[in-house]
Amino acid sequence: MRVLIVVQRYGDEVVGGSEGHARVAARRLAARHEVEIATTTAVDFWSWAPYFPAGDTAVDGLPVHRFEVATGRDDRFKELEDAVLFGEHGLDAELDWLRIQGPNAPELYEFLDRSRRRYDAIVFYTYIYAPTALGLPIVPERAALIPTAHDELPLGLAPYRALFHLPRAIGYLTPEERALVRGRFRNEEVPDLVLGIGLDPLPPGDAAGFRARHELAGPIVTYLGQVTAGKGCDELVADWIGYREAGGAGTLVLAGSVGMDIAPRPDIRLLGRISDAEKSDLLAAADVLVHPSHLESLGIVLLEAWQAGTPVLVPAWNAVTAGQVGRSGGGRTYATHGAFATELAALLDREGAERGAAGRAWVAEECAWPRFDERLDALVELAHG
Amino acid sequence: MGDRVLVVVQRYGDVAGGAETHARELVNRLRPHVSIDVATTTARDYWTWKNELVAGEDRVDGVRVFRFMVDAGRARDFRRHERAAFRTEHSLADERAFIRAQGPHAPELLEFVHREGPGYDCVVFFTYIYAPTVYGVPLVPERAVVVPTAHDEPALALAAYRPVFHAPRALAFNTVEERDMVHHRFGNQRVPHDVVGVGVDVPARSDPDRFRQAHGIDGPYFLYVGRIVESKGCPELFDHWARFAARHDGHATLVLAGHREMAVPDRPDVRYIGTVSDADKFDALAGCTALVYSGRLDSLSMVTLEAWAMGRPVVVSARAPVLASMSRRAGAGLPYGSADEFAEVLELLLERPALAAALGEQGRAFVARTYTWPGVVEKYLDLFAEIRARNS
Repeated sequence: MRVLIVVQRYGDEVVGGSEGHARVAARRLAARHEVEIATTTAVDFWSWAPYFPAGDTAVDGLPVHRFEVATGRDDRFKELEDAVLFGEHGLDAELDWLRIQGPNAPELYEFLDRSRRRYDAIVFYTYIYAPTALGLPIVPERAALIPTAHDELPLGLAPYRALFHLPRAIGYLTPEERALVRGRFRNEEVPDLVLGIGLDPLPPGDAAGFRARHELAGPIVTYLGQVTAGKGCDELVADWIGYREAGGAGTLVLAGSVGMDIAPRPDIRLLGRISDAEKSDLLAAADVLVHPSHLESLGIVLLEAWQAGTPVLVPAWNAVTAGQVGRSGGGRTYATHGAFATELAALLDREGAERGAAGRAWVAEECAWPRFDERLDALVELAHG
Repeated sequence: MGDRVLVVVQRYGDVAGGAETHARELVNRLRPHVSIDVATTTARDYWTWKNELVAGEDRVDGVRVFRFMVDAGRARDFRRHERAAFRTEHSLADERAFIRAQGPHAPELLEFVHREGPGYDCVVFFTYIYAPTVYGVPLVPERAVVVPTAHDEPALALAAYRPVFHAPRALAFNTVEERDMVHHRFGNQRVPHDVVGVGVDVPARSDPDRFRQAHGIDGPYFLYVGRIVESKGCPELFDHWARFAARHDGHATLVLAGHREMAVPDRPDVRYIGTVSDADKFDALAGCTALVYSGRLDSLSMVTLEAWAMGRPVVVSARAPVLASMSRRAGAGLPYGSADEFAEVLELLLERPALAAALGEQGRAFVARTYTWPGVVEKYLDLFAEIRARNS
């Protein structure tokens, strides 16, 4: 089949969850289908400023059509977003918000209208951005949507009401995302499936080397990702201090770019961004990985921790990560901040090895490439009808 | 009382127009079964969309009607926008400009659908082509029923209409032919749909002699009812009639009823009787040898159904896809492909009145099967029940 993937950004320099998934899907599909990508010239998701040249190029040997962003986000965006999400506003404001949020690429929509018959299936990534919200309604008869939706306020806005009813198929990343969207939009009539993700094996990590380099003894509890309040790291630090004050032992190792203030303590280490090799070593050395984020569409870091046999601890109020822990048996959840210390101790003192092994076995089965490939094929097959 | 239903239509009340009349009749038939409101504009004229009625809450036949102002009527340069959008090479911006120029642009109506629509169990949109449907359906897709009344026309090729046919919870077609045409165009078979049709109202009594006497018509006659205009194929009808009359030595008359927008041939066997009352129309239908129609663009022809309901056959152009196909399905019409065939068909019907009556009876049975109000109402109530179940 001929498959077109539409996504807001694409390329080596692009960092992002849905963009990463899109690139993996493109490469996997390309083994069995003719795959092309339609995207913008942007590299960053805030300004959408031109970075890549417009026109046709190739990434991983696949044709990529890049279109200019007509207008980037401007000064009005925050104000408009506040009004649209929290204030009294009209219908027009919601449509303006969508366009200003961007990346609004009118030439991309013209391309879809003009070229749609060249493709058997057109796969759209991320419900929230203009290329999907304004592009998918042009080609509903051959569209698959991979929404990567969270339970967030924009999901309630008018521009998205029809979006989840229009495609021929929807690919969710998790069962929780499917439940969220179905409950919100009552779009059960659109055939769907849960895609998940495929993973390459993690390179073997050197636990002892990591401990030696960082002079770490005793339990290692780690967090991998952006160190920001938005990701729940302020709560993590407070919970960690609570755990320590209750007599818990160990070091909290935070790996990732730091975007918040943390008062220096000997039992909290900030590594900043780390290499892939260092990541393998860290996961091998860690006794528990904590992921405090409230919103998550896939929780890839949990899957990687399980590849290394490391158990995880997540808040019960994040349906996606708690659901993954429930399905895999690879960790525990804390229902309140007060329960954090007890749950962490249970993993460190008793269950860690067993839970880590369960997680490893689950990931080996669930994230095997053939499983992912089958689901991708099923999705484009549904879109093709 | 049952479901809460909102009907959205570009004009409503004492206005002329097929879809609008259809909407009003349906609303009045559904009233005993559901709690029903109408949202529409203050326009009476489908061309200018001039604000002639009062905005706000109104009552029509006792039904609550919310009327909203039209901000911008049809653009003066509408035809220019239409041409641009209908060109094979056109942009999506051309399409948006066409829909805006066509109107009626009534932002408060859309705000109402956005704000109040989710409070109804179902929202029924009449006519696919106008802005209230194009921009209204995506606001309440999970409870939207679209009654497209679509013809096979250039507008259907526009990308802007794809969501109208892919997003709603259900599509209610007037005919099997409309359904097949839409499915072929849009590939939207997965959207739940039904051929609901419309109901045909027939008077309890009709009196062909009264009609003959009132208009001084003797002998057999063929009847045309509708606007007398080129777009309805009247030039072809007049031409074929003249050729038929030249070879036929009987004394049949062609009777034309409706608004005259072109010249009518001045000859003794063609009678123009002006616009007629409903009672007159049914009397005329009951007495005709057959109803004749030469137009090629039509979705559902109400007068064809009415002729059948009166037990009379129809003669239609073989190039009118919907009518020719319906005539075939009903077994109640004879299509013609040329002037010669037109003459042969008319002669056949004149010479074999029993055959004409038998065809007409098949038409009567066809209408009774599909196009009666109780049947139509039942189909809508089924759609509403299904939608409520899906959303509950």
